[in-house]
Amino acid sequence: MTRTANTSPDAAVGAGANRALLGAAGVAGLLVLWEALPRIGAADPRYLPPASEVAITLGGRLGGATFWAAVGDTVAAWALGLAIAFAAAVVLGFLIGSAPRVRAFTTSTVEFLRPIPSVALIPLAILLYGTDIRSTLLLVVYAAFWQIYIQVLYGVADVDPVADQTARCYGLGRMARIRYVVWPSALPYLMTGLRLGAAVALVLTVTAQLVIGSPGLGQEIAVARSSGALDEVYALIVATGALGVLVNTGIRALERRALRWHSSVRGEAL
Amino acid sequence: MRRKILALTGVVALLTTAACGGGDAAEKDGLTTLKIGSMPVVDTAALHLGVDQGYFEDLGIELDITNVQGGAEAIPGVVSGDFDIAFSNVTSLIVAREKDLPLKIINNAVASTGKEGKDFGGVVVPEGSSITGAKDLAGKKVAVNTLQNIGDTTVRNSVRKAGGDPEDIEFVEMAFPDMPAAVEKKQVDAAWVVEPFLTMALNDGATEVASNFVDTHESLSVAVYFTSEKFLAENPELAKSFTTAMSESQAYAQSHPEEVRRILTTYTKMDENLIEQIRLPNYPSQKDTESAQVLGELMKEDGLIDSEPNLDELYQ
Repeated sequence: MTRTANTSPDAAVGAGANRALLGAAGVAGLLVLWEALPRIGAADPRYLPPASEVAITLGGRLGGATFWAAVGDTVAAWALGLAIAFAAAVVLGFLIGSAPRVRAFTTSTVEFLRPIPSVALIPLAILLYGTDIRSTLLLVVYAAFWQIYIQVLYGVADVDPVADQTARCYGLGRMARIRYVVWPSALPYLMTGLRLGAAVALVLTVTAQLVIGSPGLGQEIAVARSSGALDEVYALIVATGALGVLVNTGIRALERRALRWHSSVRGEAL
Repeated sequence: MRRKILALTGVVALLTTAACGGGDAAEKDGLTTLKIGSMPVVDTAALHLGVDQGYFEDLGIELDITNVQGGAEAIPGVVSGDFDIAFSNVTSLIVAREKDLPLKIINNAVASTGKEGKDFGGVVVPEGSSITGAKDLAGKKVAVNTLQNIGDTTVRNSVRKAGGDPEDIEFVEMAFPDMPAAVEKKQVDAAWVVEPFLTMALNDGATEVASNFVDTHESLSVAVYFTSEKFLAENPELAKSFTTAMSESQAYAQSHPEEVRRILTTYTKMDENLIEQIRLPNYPSQKDTESAQVLGELMKEDGLIDSEPNLDELYQ
């Protein structure tokens, strides 16, 4: 049974449940630690309120419209930013990736721009767009774009030359080769890029709201901080973390659907 | 501060190379919408109270209030036209005006209460500290929220007035929310804090050793509302209506402290017990160039500006 674990549906389900259980145990452990530290005096409860108090504060916020409006603003900015970055990265990635000369020509520029931290663009964003959602988008798109673009480039470069030559021999045109040869080989890379980009986009969305003050969870955290309401600060941070988990789970589900046929997914998801 | 300098430099560059975006006020339901850059702090209570009381609506104005993190955003925001009017401290505006940014102060926002030991900002030291007065701050490590701004300028003045030498005070930059803990853990010798963190620090056992605003001027204007020359030139009537409504709001806030405490529960997340305890600032209706003059002279002494501030240009 154990030997064929990869192919047996029962075993796969068991492994999945096991993983979920382990994950839940990890979170529970963290919560117990968080609850204990301020209670036994290892941390000052005024600066680190116990988990239960933060949970009560968060519970109270879940009933309020302000909280959900902030979540809505954050999700909207994140989704829009990620969509723009994704579209731009895929189009540019396929165009530039499939033209080796252009790719060589742009590599140095990409390597120069890519490491610039998005937060370094905050003063520029404020100057250009003030506290508008556009300044958040500038940061989010910049950060998420490179994550996806680089993956698409690798994906396009990973095309099996034999498959490509075969397609050429059978007289497939450029568009058809992209559709039937390049796209399937690049898709796993693209999905990885999307997953990385989604996480980075969420981080930058909250950062922009926190620092620039555009509406959303980040701004709520900033207001709570300037009000000296630490319970609230922690509650909102927990909410942001939960949003991150949801985003990751969602993207992974999407990945499994899009790559149903791919060996990396086929083995475990059956 | 670095961000502030960068932002200001950027604004200057933008101004010299390109035309700015328009700050045209939008009209809706017979009300003209003004975009206001504000901060979610005690200082802006009168603004929110004025909206609540309908003073702005009575004059045909609707306020679209955006929370910003400070002058570093408010000033470029007004210059570029993203905001019609914004809130900032006086020091930042004097510095901006010296850099030839076309800004005008149109309303007072908050001023010192003028009462030693009962102001909305002050210098606190940890429990059991050897510092007992402003004079002892000489040579010590003092936290301020922004270097080269109203905090260090007025603290130096307090030390000088008490007969100490302000030259070798080591100022460190720290956000207000972090100060009560830093004082308690003795990471700094003293901190200049404003409400609600002043009350939080005092509740945690800190001692107040100086009222730096009061020492500078008994009615020191700390923060104000300002706009751009462009907005004033294009919307003189609108600016006048705002000033009228804002002055009314200030007067109402000044005479109704319980209303100020109530409105604080709506736009900040301060704990209600804390709101009951904090010391409220003064909300003057009139502009106060006299106290700004005193502040400007101190800034010149500190080297923040090269020449005496031109307050006739800065104030409308």
